[in-house]
Amino acid sequence: MECHDARSLIQSYLDGELSQAQAAPLRAHLLDCQPCRAGAQDEKNLKRWFVAPQTPAIPQGFAARVARAAVQGEPLPRRSRLTALPGSRVSGATPVGADREGGMLRFVLACTAAAALLLFTLALGIRTLSLPQTNQLAADDREEVQLDKVLEELDQLNRTQAAAGAPR
Amino acid sequence: MEQSAPEDDRLVAESLQGSQLAFQLLVERYQERIFRLIRGYVRESAEVEDLAQETFLKAYKNLEGFQRQSSFYTWIYRIAVNTVLDHIKRRGRSPVQAVEDLEVLPVTQMTRSPAPAANLERAEISSITQSVLEEIPEIFRTVLVLREFEELAYQDIADMLGISIGTVESRLFRARARFKEKLLQKYPEFGTEL
Repeated sequence: MECHDARSLIQSYLDGELSQAQAAPLRAHLLDCQPCRAGAQDEKNLKRWFVAPQTPAIPQGFAARVARAAVQGEPLPRRSRLTALPGSRVSGATPVGADREGGMLRFVLACTAAAALLLFTLALGIRTLSLPQTNQLAADDREEVQLDKVLEELDQLNRTQAAAGAPR
Repeated sequence: MEQSAPEDDRLVAESLQGSQLAFQLLVERYQERIFRLIRGYVRESAEVEDLAQETFLKAYKNLEGFQRQSSFYTWIYRIAVNTVLDHIKRRGRSPVQAVEDLEVLPVTQMTRSPAPAANLERAEISSITQSVLEEIPEIFRTVLVLREFEELAYQDIADMLGISIGTVESRLFRARARFKEKLLQKYPEFGTEL
């Protein structure tokens, strides 16, 4: 086996991916070739860095919660987004979801306040529009004009009848 | 990897019939592996939990699409890896996208691979390794996590990622070179000149 071939097989060999037929000539080459042996040692050194991180503690009831959410469609709280909320309280005793409930309460209160303000503004606007726009007592200028006109027409009619001497 | 495919198949079938308990048992069988896999990418435990639950919910939603030609763990690992990579992309924390033929800096060829110093605690080594992995492009980090932490066979990695065994080999080769390069950049004190 040539060094070039040996080098290309070393990683697979250390990963346990070579068959006996492939591994035997490589082992023979490594026994004879110091540079390739050093290369193999290098790879072994590098592999020693790969210490798997410790498995994080799985929260109690995780599987049951996820299964319930999956089958029944219940929403699941997202812990990472919640902890990122500015001003949220951080307490070991705070149950998961407590901050979410508090946030929901604040949201409902804010909506109620906004709706009340909107209703008040609307009522004030309607009231303002219904008030007289001038200090005249007449309720409607247009009606006043029409009445004057009618009265004038009646007067005109009376004068015409009087001049004609028509009987009453 | 120790598996019991018939048990998985039975639980999948019962879950598809609406059994909440069957799906819960399925989650219990894989939760530790999925948490550990995700922990290979993400440090914060709250993020790990969120991504794990997202993985299982996606799995349930797509359970009908599970092809029994592959094993359940291969299938759910793939969902987990995709979920984590999507998350990393969304958060914009990913290093530049890698290309297959990344060149290795000469420094890595001229320097011996360092072994962790004898006085380093296991947790310290793990922390250093995590910090180096975070600076490695996703495609390389994924094969390293699957091979070195999860100890998956090349064939399983190939099935999971939808690539050939040859591609797994070449990615691992480049991934290790890139890991060594970053390790020596960040911690030059570990390097030994040839």
